[in-house]
Amino acid sequence: MLNNVHGILMTNQPGYNLKDLSSIRSISSVPYGGRYRLVDFVLSNMVDDGITDIGVVLQQGYQSLLDHLGSGKDWDLARRRGGLRLLPPFSMVNSNSQRRIYQGKMEALIGLKDYLSEIKQEYLIVADADIVLNISLEDVFEKHIASGADVSVVCSKKFTDSPDYATYFTLKEDGSADQVLTRPEGDCYESLSIYVLSKNKMIELVDYSAARGLNSFSRQVLPLKDKLGLRVVPYLFQGYAARFPTVADYFAKSMDLLKKEVRDDLFNPAHPIRSKDRSDPAAYYGPESKVVGSMISDGCVIEGTVENSIIFRNVKIAKGAVVKNCILMKDVEVGPNASLNCVICDKSVSIGANRTLSGCETYPIVYAKGTKI
Amino acid sequence: MKKECVAMLLAGGQGSRLYALTRNVAKPAVPFGSKYRIIDFPLSNCVNSGIDTVGVLTQYRPMELNAYLGNGQPWDLDKSDGGVHVLPPYLGAGEQGSWYKGTANAIYQNIDFIDMYDPEYVLILSGDHIYKMDYDKMLDYHKRQHAAATISVLEVTLEEATRFGIMNVDENDVIYEFEEKPKHPKSNLASMGIYIFTWSKLRQALIEDENDPASKNDFGGNIIPNLIAKGETCVAYRFSGYWKDVGTIASLWDANMDLLDINSGIRVFDKSWPIFARTNICPPHVSGPDAVITHSLVAGGCSIDGTVDNSVIFENVTIEAGAEVRYSVLMPGTVIKAGAHVEYAILAENAVVEENAVVGEDKGPIAVVAGGVVVDAGAEVSAGAMYTEESKGGDASC
Repeated sequence: MLNNVHGILMTNQPGYNLKDLSSIRSISSVPYGGRYRLVDFVLSNMVDDGITDIGVVLQQGYQSLLDHLGSGKDWDLARRRGGLRLLPPFSMVNSNSQRRIYQGKMEALIGLKDYLSEIKQEYLIVADADIVLNISLEDVFEKHIASGADVSVVCSKKFTDSPDYATYFTLKEDGSADQVLTRPEGDCYESLSIYVLSKNKMIELVDYSAARGLNSFSRQVLPLKDKLGLRVVPYLFQGYAARFPTVADYFAKSMDLLKKEVRDDLFNPAHPIRSKDRSDPAAYYGPESKVVGSMISDGCVIEGTVENSIIFRNVKIAKGAVVKNCILMKDVEVGPNASLNCVICDKSVSIGANRTLSGCETYPIVYAKGTKI
Repeated sequence: MKKECVAMLLAGGQGSRLYALTRNVAKPAVPFGSKYRIIDFPLSNCVNSGIDTVGVLTQYRPMELNAYLGNGQPWDLDKSDGGVHVLPPYLGAGEQGSWYKGTANAIYQNIDFIDMYDPEYVLILSGDHIYKMDYDKMLDYHKRQHAAATISVLEVTLEEATRFGIMNVDENDVIYEFEEKPKHPKSNLASMGIYIFTWSKLRQALIEDENDPASKNDFGGNIIPNLIAKGETCVAYRFSGYWKDVGTIASLWDANMDLLDINSGIRVFDKSWPIFARTNICPPHVSGPDAVITHSLVAGGCSIDGTVDNSVIFENVTIEAGAEVRYSVLMPGTVIKAGAHVEYAILAENAVVEENAVVGEDKGPIAVVAGGVVVDAGAEVSAGAMYTEESKGGDASC
């Protein structure tokens, strides 16, 4: 159990563009997998491994994240001691010294210096909250201690399709990081942006960054590791991991959930992914429904045909409607005899009778929250 | 702090007629309707009616029920003042005690609990009925009638009346007689086991009843007839809506099947009166490439590759390709292997039907497989059978 570790989640990703899905909410609260938000994965991993004090660093568009997390009750984080700490921007700054919203991790933590120094635990796990994976952080932490690293970084060897959004490492013979790259090159590891380091080391690096105007941990601080005498050790994660910088990534990786091996990897009952609980009845299938190769959430009423799709909670699909290769978020309604192919409908989109909407697998069409068609 | 009305939920029943389903759990904790337990219905009704203090009287096999209720959080009953309280039978120093002797004795033993909230009224509920009801409307009626007791009744046919406690009333619905399962019913007003009492009147009646050694300490049989005999006003409150006693295998199955008509009956999809439940953490369910799912309810965590028709499927059920499930209720964690055939059946939690086994037959009667029991490959469980670990190998094998 990681009772000497404090969790810090970063919830925004500058540069990610999920069009209408991310324009109204931070990337961490983008809905995913029928009943989840992206933040649920890393947050649940932390809770499942015994981290009970978690700070969530907010940047902008965080209303939906606040609604989702609430008091932290659904992650057992509504506690008298510790629990969930929400950290909005500008919350600790009164002077004129910081007038713009922070950009990178280091800039965010500079603004949260008081919070950092009050942390009771000796170690930190700092993670981007938009990575979907199910990882034993306990194992990461044990390896961190055993390796004597100053900073451990969880890495994967399965590269994302959009290489511009990650940091890569080449390795020395002793297993520690050699070069820090912004594009993959040769045999290298891709960072999954989950870092383990001691609180004191982090404060040292935050002070260093503040004095030199450094914003980014991965792109500005880690490349200085030799100068700073930092031993950075990648931890190779073998399981399924996904990040979602573009709509095409979001679509393709959501569809990965229709593969049993991916679901078995992500949804381990002994290491569950928790999410906001809602009291929905089970999904109802009508007498003429035809649903194959799909993921269907509670509260749905399905009377039409669904193939190869991810259907979120309380979606209604009327008789005669055909939904193929789609992602339909909460409260979407599809009218009678409508036909949908390769579209992503955000929450509460309503599609009238007999409408035909079609995108393409490499270019799925996104319909913004609440659109009526 | 003073409460206007406190609810007392009688949840100690053994549910012996549900035998294989209640061997290890109290009846109110029996899973119902894909996502719920029976007790979710009265508890959600309380919360939706604005009653935030509920005593749950437990007795028989309370472990699972206690764990399910927990701190009451799923029903918003985790309160600093009020909330849900589990009330088992207890003994004071030097007392010779027993289980709750009857429904009235269960309340009698908890007079101190009720007094703690100093209520004007007490609502008595039982944990084996499926219905949605606004108790606040019933309380208004109780107050308007200046009654000592108000008993919620349902109009049934005279034929059905022989199976219920029947209230005989005058033209103002004032009860002058209570008859338990009358052979020749004079009225068609069946008691639903839902009572509102003015606490001061009930408190006194409970003490008098306890001092009567001949009493069976039962609400229907003793408390209400005694109040009528004393000239207290006892009135019938007519309820019209879906109400089902799920005390038998057949009625439990029926009530589950009623849910498949989502626009009538209990209407679990109606958000204006939600039914809350403690839910497990599980991902959405998945239908495989060859799945056929029609006219059914399917909960989260399931993996469906076979055929499901007219069935109620709880969380984390696996139905393999080539398996068929029709007109059945599959409780959490059941597994139906390839080629197995399940029809007109109730399978309790974590039951396993191995390959090519057959459970039940068309039109029933309902076959029941007890929790955790494995029906071996190729075996047959006949219609109407209660298939348990003990009965295995005997009548059930083919």
